[in-house]
Amino acid sequence: MDLNSEIHEDSIQEQQKHFHVLAVDDSLIDRKLLERLLTISSYQVTCVDSGKKALEYLGLLDNTDNDSTANSSSSSCTSSSQQEVPGTKVNLIMTDYSMPEMSGYDLLKRVKGSSWKNIPVVLMSSENVPSRIDMCLEGGAEEFLLKPVQLSDLRKLQSHLLNFMDIENNNKKKKKKDDEEDDDNDDNSNNKNENNAYKRKAMSIEPSERRPNMKELVVV
Amino acid sequence: MDAIVQLQRQFVDYTTSLYRDGFLDDQFTQLQKLQDESNPDFVVEVVNLFFEDSEKLLNNLATALQQQIVDYKQVDAHVHQFKGSSSSIGAQRVKNACVAFRNYCEERDPEGCVRCLQQLKREHYLMKSKLETLFRLEQQILAAGGSVPMMT
Repeated sequence: MDLNSEIHEDSIQEQQKHFHVLAVDDSLIDRKLLERLLTISSYQVTCVDSGKKALEYLGLLDNTDNDSTANSSSSSCTSSSQQEVPGTKVNLIMTDYSMPEMSGYDLLKRVKGSSWKNIPVVLMSSENVPSRIDMCLEGGAEEFLLKPVQLSDLRKLQSHLLNFMDIENNNKKKKKKDDEEDDDNDDNSNNKNENNAYKRKAMSIEPSERRPNMKELVVV
Repeated sequence: MDAIVQLQRQFVDYTTSLYRDGFLDDQFTQLQKLQDESNPDFVVEVVNLFFEDSEKLLNNLATALQQQIVDYKQVDAHVHQFKGSSSSIGAQRVKNACVAFRNYCEERDPEGCVRCLQQLKREHYLMKSKLETLFRLEQQILAAGGSVPMMT
């Protein structure tokens, strides 16, 4: 029993080492911060400065000319997987909410309506607007983080994602065992319930836990 | 050895005063956590980026407010950006000046906005000179062969 769980943990950590995050933010400073936060937390990072560039990277826009856009947009941070064809491997998207042209919410909806719908999308915002947070979580966001994002936020996100990956792995194993598509429906509904539980958790815990400085008043 | 201790004490006192007087908040401490041997200049780099960015924003704001018909949406967008970046580096007083500025944008008060811009410029230059002093102290400690105290 112990040996099995040890092996299981190793494979999760192995996966985490190659975890590739696509970070989307129009602010150069925030991109630099996020890149550093993620790198310190052992993720691979690619930064882009708009929703459009994110969609291009994911191969979700009409023009298939990925090379010029993907490299030129990662200005403040380097992608450790530049040799790979852009769009082949992304495990997590972290996006700012307020961006010109395409908001983080728009990007979320586009991703959730695409072949990338199963990867977690985390929204970030400097503004604490409950209705906005609800809207994003309802729209399929895995988490909603308040800026400035800190190492402690990523640590919480990490454990959340490990559970998420665990479910995904179990689902994959199940799919391998069973040939029938019928089981997919069961898997998806189980997956959904688990995800909803995390979303509810995010909603109830985030606002109070996340405010380190209670003195700060939210004035917009 | 004495010189190093003196400098370190100066550094600690100065840093403490910056937090006490509200120039810096916890986010600046968070920035320090992101600096290590592999990225020894991270804080300075981010701060420099911030000041480059904010010079441009201040110019854009001045231009926007000089227009015959002021586009308050545009002004607000600039201030929002400024608020975000100052918040990201822990420049608390600059951030607060932005918060006040946004209120006047909402009121579409041209004189209020101009006053806010002046205040924002003041806070910005204050922050800049204080951080320059702080970084200079750091350099002096390192040059003397000491290590920079970690503020927790």
